Parts: sequence; structure tokens; C-alpha cells
Amino acid sequence: MSGTASPVDLAPVGRSPWRDARVRFLRNRAAVASVVVLGLITLACVFGPMLLPNAFDSVDWNLMSNAPTRAGWHLFGTDELGRDLLVRTLIGGRISLMVGLLATLVSVSIGVVWGAVAGFAGGRVDSTMMRIVDMAYAVPYLLIAILVVTVFGRDILLVVAAIAAFSWLDMARVVRGQTLSIKSREFVEAARAIGVPTWRIIFQHVVPNLMGVVVIYTSILVPGVILSESVLSFLGLGVQEPMTSWGVLIHDGAAVMAATPWMILFPAGALSITLYCANFIGDGLRDALDPKER
Amino acid sequence: MNMRCTPSLPRALFAAALVAGGLSAARAAVIPPGTVLSPRQEMVRNNGAEPESLDPAFVESVNGAEIERDLFEGLTSTDHHSNVVPGVAESWKQVDATTWVFKLRRNAVWSNGQPVTAEDFVYAWRRFLDPKTAAKIASVYATYLFNGLDVVNGKKPVTDLGVRAIDKETLEVRTAGAVPFLPSVVSVAQYSPQPRATIEKFGKDWTKPANMVSNGAYVLKDWQVNSKVIVEKNPKYWDAANVQLTRVTFLCVEDGNADLKLYQSGEEDFMHQIAPGAYNALKAQYPGEMHNGPLYGLRFYGLNNTDPLLKDVRVRKALSMVIDREILSAKVTADGQAPLYGLAVKGLAGIAQTRYDWAEWPMDKRVAEARKLLADAGVKPGTHLKFVYNNSDYHKKMAIFAASEWKTKLGLETDMDSLEFKVLIRKRHDGDFQIARHGWVATFNDATVFLALVECGSDANDNRNCNKKADELIAQGNLQTDPARREALLTQAARLVMDDYPLIPLLQYSVPRLIKPWVGGYDDLNGMDRYRSKDFYILKH
Amino acid sequence: MWAYVVRRLLVTIPTVLAVVTICYLLLHVTPGGPFDAERKVSDAVLANLQAKYHLDLPLWKQYLYYLNDLLHGDLGASFRYADWSVNDLVARALPVSLAIGGTAMVIAVLVGVALGIAAALRQNSAVDYLVMLFGNIGSVLPSFVLGPVLVLVFAITLPWLPSGGWDDFAPRYMILPIVLLTLINISTIGRIMRGSLIEVLSSNFIRTARAKGLPMRLVVLRHALRPALLPVVSVIGPLAISSITSAIVTESWFSIPGLGKLIVNGASDRDYTLVLGLVVLVTVLAVLLNLVVDLAYAWLDPKIRY
Repeated sequence: MSGTASPVDLAPVGRSPWRDARVRFLRNRAAVASVVVLGLITLACVFGPMLLPNAFDSVDWNLMSNAPTRAGWHLFGTDELGRDLLVRTLIGGRISLMVGLLATLVSVSIGVVWGAVAGFAGGRVDSTMMRIVDMAYAVPYLLIAILVVTVFGRDILLVVAAIAAFSWLDMARVVRGQTLSIKSREFVEAARAIGVPTWRIIFQHVVPNLMGVVVIYTSILVPGVILSESVLSFLGLGVQEPMTSWGVLIHDGAAVMAATPWMILFPAGALSITLYCANFIGDGLRDALDPKER
Repeated sequence: MNMRCTPSLPRALFAAALVAGGLSAARAAVIPPGTVLSPRQEMVRNNGAEPESLDPAFVESVNGAEIERDLFEGLTSTDHHSNVVPGVAESWKQVDATTWVFKLRRNAVWSNGQPVTAEDFVYAWRRFLDPKTAAKIASVYATYLFNGLDVVNGKKPVTDLGVRAIDKETLEVRTAGAVPFLPSVVSVAQYSPQPRATIEKFGKDWTKPANMVSNGAYVLKDWQVNSKVIVEKNPKYWDAANVQLTRVTFLCVEDGNADLKLYQSGEEDFMHQIAPGAYNALKAQYPGEMHNGPLYGLRFYGLNNTDPLLKDVRVRKALSMVIDREILSAKVTADGQAPLYGLAVKGLAGIAQTRYDWAEWPMDKRVAEARKLLADAGVKPGTHLKFVYNNSDYHKKMAIFAASEWKTKLGLETDMDSLEFKVLIRKRHDGDFQIARHGWVATFNDATVFLALVECGSDANDNRNCNKKADELIAQGNLQTDPARREALLTQAARLVMDDYPLIPLLQYSVPRLIKPWVGGYDDLNGMDRYRSKDFYILKH
Repeated sequence: MWAYVVRRLLVTIPTVLAVVTICYLLLHVTPGGPFDAERKVSDAVLANLQAKYHLDLPLWKQYLYYLNDLLHGDLGASFRYADWSVNDLVARALPVSLAIGGTAMVIAVLVGVALGIAAALRQNSAVDYLVMLFGNIGSVLPSFVLGPVLVLVFAITLPWLPSGGWDDFAPRYMILPIVLLTLINISTIGRIMRGSLIEVLSSNFIRTARAKGLPMRLVVLRHALRPALLPVVSVIGPLAISSITSAIVTESWFSIPGLGKLIVNGASDRDYTLVLGLVVLVTVLAVLLNLVVDLAYAWLDPKIRY
């Protein structure tokens, strides 16, 4: 008869948690807008310099410290050596974004694994692992950076390594704290009772529940990493002239802020917008991936 | 190739210092008649960095020495016109080519009332040069005293040093060879007298405010590391009647922008130095307050003369020729530093300035000639140059300019490496570089300070060049008692060695700084950039 | 619990030893030494300098000398600040950094937590975005931009405060540096608080409390806050350490004689004893602070046991 639905029709349609997460994310308008903006910035940094007429390292002694103007495509003005700031900001963006991404990825990976293992294992293992973290805090960053560069030479990947080497510490602490709390919850007890191997418990049960805090902390990590890169470059340990990064541009611009404000306005603006976007995306991701939201 | 000479001004001054050596009562702050002084005679001044020590034997840096000049006074002193004036010694005479006798004034006393005697100088100089004291800068100043170097190197006992107290008020100094500028040498902070009893009593702690005994116009009131050093007028100083400032605070702010902010918000009266790039804007903003006098200092690029690429003098010459120092000075650094085409800086005593003849050629001609030289030497466009400098905005700007000159005019690529200062000097000393940023500032006003940069085997010579004929001329020049003859020989030597292009001279240092209009006594022409607080006074404001 | 505390305190000793050893080796491997100067030092003087500081001995012997002094509480003589002992320098700089960094942390925690709570309770609303926008200023603008802006506004344009300097803990010199450090820290604390509180607010026991009819404010304060504070507390440790020992940009911009300046100058001057002394200090501080943080965990989440 036509009125009765078949048992197949009545079966509930499965909803994958990822689809749920995506839907929740898309609902967060700030996060979506941020993704778009960040995407545009990335595209501009990657393709912009190829399309613009000015080179990032061509000095022009007649155009030093010029205000933004439409002439010659100097839309952001020029720096103290007559180099076009628009192109330099975009080129700098390449370095900053790349370093930010790579160093963050590395730090997060190490930090999460370290913290989760330490927190879950407890006892001596936890103690030793956390004491190592304490020790790493005390070692002067500058010294290691100088050493690494002098021994291995200058390379952008080394900058990433040097920054990551110190950025994973905070993540490890945060993750360990959360793990301590999570491991005493019932579902972990249950998993243990069933006989799930420890590593599986850690990576399939504990870590997903950490994601909220991890995501937030990651988006806190990103600005720190980008700024660390600028400090390193200033000390001669990061990008070398004529290559530049947002951190270096901002640092140079801060020195002449009162007289030539555009030199700091544009790179700082680019950095701020990127970081705000990262923050909103981070918050959005956290909200989206929250297993308790329905 | 000819080099043109320009006559030097302080020549007459030198002669005067040699012969006269005895203006008895030197005035401190010279106050024009009719000036109204402020009732509050205090000044806050940024000294640029935290001093490494306040013990005269251990002071090395310019800023350390600046404070020492207020706390201690040597046989002679430098006033704010860079002139050598009597200090503890009221007169002196040169007895023979290598012997000088200094007569100390009767009323010179330590801040605890004890008289300053010739023995105090003997003790101080022996302590300074004693290798056991391990004063890092000892060898730099030891060269001028008889047996000085041997003592520092441990080859002779300190008692062999060429200084002797004839009686309480007479000091005999013997020099190593002829040192016509000895009065200038003994004005440095490191040759101050030292209070033996205090040092023996307190040991390392003798420089703490509660313990220190000094003989200068000021005594140490307070010392907060990384914050400030406060000195107050010494009532027992022999010239105290002419000392106006009662209290001076030395700050140690290194960052040029932080320095500027302190000046703008009124926290300090006297800046250390302007940050690069800010000169023109600040000059327009504070017209009467910007001071910018030339310093006896040389900005240059050291060339490693033993490097395979730079071995050939033609390559070195080409690199030097194409740099447009006029643009460098007018546009890039843009703070009044004069272009230099020779070793000697303007105003330096004992030598006339020399200039390459191609300095007058139009740039096109220079570039054409340089390209020809490179081609002759077999260096092709696209060759890479290795350039090291220490990280600082100023050096960076200059380096980028030089790199762009070498690229656009000679087709050479420059690999720039910004290093930490300690790493840079290590590389320079070890010869582990090709082209390196370098700078040299006079410790006293005489040509030998700069000639040391290019003498064979000299400690200051990182370029590893050697021109024996020039060295002979220098040695001959130093034997002369006639200053004119000496100057001629030294100038000739400089011309000769610079024709080897051992380094690339660029600019003469200047010291742009802002000073509040109520600070009196500053002289823009003070090439040594040495000031004693006793020369300043505060106008009513 | 007390056994745990005692155990942790005892562990400080091997921790400090391990760090000192590592840094010691690092310092000696790093190129450039403490006596490298623009003007060359004569060999005899250099030999005496090295003898004075035991640097002519084999590395392990120097190390033992150092450890021996360390056990007697003597951190050695500084190279860079030749008239002072490292003990003196640290004793003078530590209170300064504690005052600035410590105060900044306290304010940042109070304000950051408040901001985070406000944002979490009105999730995804305009209030949330605005609060987060303000709170994030400190993390998107580097300190070497915020510092000058603060000075420009409050010291030069409005001559209310000095632009820098230090005068024996006089409050007017402390205000701007504390504001700068606080702004930087508020962002981190605020965002973590927000995220963590949102998570906690959607858990079962909160739903129960609300179902019981408790007003939201009580729910938050009495039930949700404690577990939500866990990640915030995790972060306070490292933030406090860096605010106290590595506030180098703040300290150099405002000319504050604190620890940050000592550390950076010590490293660039290769002042072995100073760097090692500071390393000891930071290690001890880190261990103590982290111990306090770990104890706080136990208080916040009663299921955590040691």
C-alpha cells in the first residue's frame, strides 16, 4: 500500500561529526569572514609580487621615504632606501606566513604528543618529562639561536627550528594539564577496562577531547612565532637583507613611526589583520570541533 | 697617482701645547658675562650604555671614560673644545726627546682630604699596566710609555715602567720613543691617579658609592646598575669655585628611540645620539637644540688583503672608486657625516688630509675606469662578494647602499651577513672575512691612532696589509721634534699606504644629538666628543 | 600531598644542575668569548684574565669550581659588569622585574578571566566579538609597536607619565610598563578562558545545575569556573616566567633595570657567570611556579591526584 514507508526510508541518515563541525563553523560569521580574508592575503603574498612592476630589492635614492602615491604603483609608499613598500610587505608576508605555519605545526605536534603522554602516564614519567620542560624554559633562547646559526649556517628552516624548539613548551604544559583532568573521566576508565592499548587511548580518546584547548592555544602561538622570527632577524639570525618579513618591516617602521607612519602602518596592519583572522578562525574551530555542541 | 693635501688646523695648537704646557689656572665653565644662571644646577644626561666599571684601570668604553672624567682627574685633562689643559699637573716640560717632567699643583686633594701626590700616579700606572691586574685595554695605552709593552707582556717587572716620583709634587715620565702628543695621552681616564689606601682596603668593592675616593670635580653618589649613575660636586676639588653643576645623573639608555622619548618628555636634558634616519625630521622639529659636530672617527669597510678575490689591488681600487660617497652622505645617512677619501679625518692633529685624485672625476669616468680594472684583474660580472656587518639599522642602510653600488655599477653580487658584534670582531681579528664593516674612533687626538689601522702587523690592522716603506716613514715621522716635519712625513706615509687600497674609507663620524637649550657649555667642534661636567652650566629657564 | 610537595622541591636540585651543565657547555661552544674586544688584548693580559676567572683550566675543572661556588651561594663575578658580583646584580634586578611582571600578571589574570567569562556567556554575539577584539590587541600588535604607541599617547601628547626610567619603585615609572605587559597577557588569558568556559558550560553537570533552576551567575561562579580555569592556570606559569624574566622589549623601551636586560646583555657579551646565574634563577623560579600551578590543578579538579 502507498501510505506505509518502507523500513529503509525510516532508517536515520547518518551524520558525520565532520559535517556537523563544518556546519557549525560556517555558522560563525566572524570565522568565515576571517577565512576569506586570510585566503586573500595569502594569495596576494604569493602572487602579488609576480604581478607588480616593482622589485622588492630595487633601491631608488630619489624616492626615499615617500608617502603612498599612485605613481609608479607605490601604493604603500617607499621605505628609507626607496624600495617599494607594497611589494616588500607582500614578500615579507610570504616569509612570515610560512614561518608561522611551519613553526606552529612543528610546535603543536611536539607539544601535544609530549603533554598528552606525560599527563596520561603520570608518576615518574610525567615528572621527568615535565622537569625537562622546566629545564628548557631556563635555557637562554638567544644563546641557542646564535649557536644554531653559527654551526649550521643561515637558513630559513633553521629559523623555523629555532622558534619551534621553544614554542612547544607552553603547548606541552597546557596539554598535560588538560590530560590530567581528562584521564580521570569515566570514558577513559571504560576504555581501559575494555583493554584498549594505552597509545590508542591517548590518541583516539584523550587527544580529540583536548582539541578545543589545543586549537585556541595554537592561535595564540601563531603571533608569538611570527614575532619571534622578527626578533631573530633583527639579531642577525633570521632572514637576511634584502629579504624581509613582517616582523622586520614592523621593527624598522617602529623606529620612524612619528615621521613616516606608513612604514609601520601597512606591515603592522597586514600582521594584525592576519592575526585577528587567525584568532577568529581559532575560536570558530574550537566551537565547531566541540564534541558537546549539537 | 697623486693625492691632494689639505692643511690641518690644530697644527698650531699642537705646537702651543708642546712649548707652553703651562697655563696655570685653567677655568672650568666659561660663562659669558651677563648670563643668568638657574638656581638649580643639575643635569640629566644619557651616556649611552652602562659602564663596565668605574675603576680607572678597567674602564674601556667611551661611556665609562666619560663618567670617569668627572670622578677622576689625570695629569692633564681635555676641555670641551678638545684642547689639552692642565689637570692635576699645573705645568710640564719636555726635558729631552723621551723625558717629560710634570709639576703637580699643591692644592690637589682626594675627596677624603688626602693630598694627591706623584706617588699616586706611579701606583696607578703600575697597577693599570701590571699584567696581574689583567686590564684588557692596557696594551693599547702601554705602547707610549718606556717599557710599557714589556711590562704588560710580563717581560719586565712593573718597577721598570718609565714613571717615577721625583718628589711629592714632581713626576717624571719617560716615553717609548718620541711621543710629541704625550700630554694628550696622559689625559685619558685610564691614566688617572688611584687611591692606594682605599683600593687596598676595599679590594673590588672600592668603586661602590659608599667606599669610593676620587680626585675629580665630582664624587660618586649613587650607582644603580642598568639605571643610572649619580655624581655630586666635590667640595674639595681644587677648582670647585668654578664648577657650576652640583649634581649630574648619567643614564644608560642604548636604544635611540627610547632616548628620544626621554628627551621629549623632559626626563633628560642631554641625549646620547640620534637614531639613524631621524636627523632631518628632528632638526626641523627642534631647530635650536640639534647639535651635530664632527668626531675624530672613521667609518670604513675593511678589506681582507689576503683574500683570493681581493688580493689584487685593482679589485680593491675598483670597489672603492664606484661608491658615491656624496650620495651616501647626503641621502643615505643624511645626518651631516662628511665623505672621506683618505685615512685621516678632518681636524685630526699631526697629519693633513689626503684625497684620491679620482674623487674629483665624474662618476661615469670612475665607473668606466673601475670596470676596466676589474676586467684586467679577471673578475667577471656576477662574481659574489661576501660582506659582514653587525646588526644595526645604520650599518644596514650603508651596506645596502654599497651593495647596490657594486651591483649596478660593477655587476657584482653581494652576499650580506649581519652578525652579532662579538662574532663580527672575532671574524675580523681572525681574518675570516672578505669585506667587513668597521669603524675607528680616536682615543686621543693624534694621527698615530689612525695609522695603526694600516701599519704592518699592528693589533688594529685587520686588513692584513703591509707597506714597509710607509711604516718606515711613520717611524721616521715619530722621531721628529718639529711638528711640521712630522706632519709632512706622516701625511706622505698615509698617502703611500692608501694607494694600496687596504680599506675603503667612507665617512667621518659625527655626533648628532639633541640638547636642551638651557644647557650651556657645549661645543659643536669638540672632535673628541669628551665632556667634563664641570664645563657645563644651566641657564635660567 | 605534602610528600608530593617535598618530592618536587627536592627534584629542583638535579633540575638546576642539569640546566646549568647544558648552558655551561652551550656558552663555551658558542663563538665569541667574553674577552673579544674591538681592540686586541695582549697575550699576557689575556692569560692573566683567563687565570683570574679560571678560564685557562680544562672545561671540567672550571665546571667543578663553578659548582663549588654555586653550592656556597656564590654565583661568581660578572665579566661585563666588572665591579659587581652576579649575586649583587641579580639581587638588584629581581625585585624590579618581580614588581613589574608580577603586578602585570595579577592584573592580566583578573581582567583576562573577566573578559573571557563575559565573552563566553554571550557566545557569538556582538559582545563576544567586541570583547575579543579589544582583548586581542596585545597579541596582534607586537610589544615594540604597542610600547611606542603608549608612550606617544600618555607621555608625550598627554604629559601625564614619564616615558621611561626608574626611580626606586616610584609608581609613576611603573604604570606604563605594567600596562604594556598586561595588555600582552590579557589576550592569551582571555581567549583561553573563553574557550575553556564555553566547553565547560555545555557539559552535563552544568545542565543539571541549570535544570535545578540556579541563576546563571551562580552556576558559572560556583560550578563552571573551577574546571574552566584549568587551562588558564596551565598558562599562567609560563606567562609569569616570561613576564618576569624575559620582558626584554618592555625593559629596554622603558629603561627598566630588570632581569631581561641582564639576560640579553649577558648572552651577547658572553658573560658566562652572569648567564649561568640567571639560568639558575629562572630554573628555580620555573620549578617553583610550576609546582604551585600543579597544586592548583589538584584544587581545581578534585579528581586529579598526585
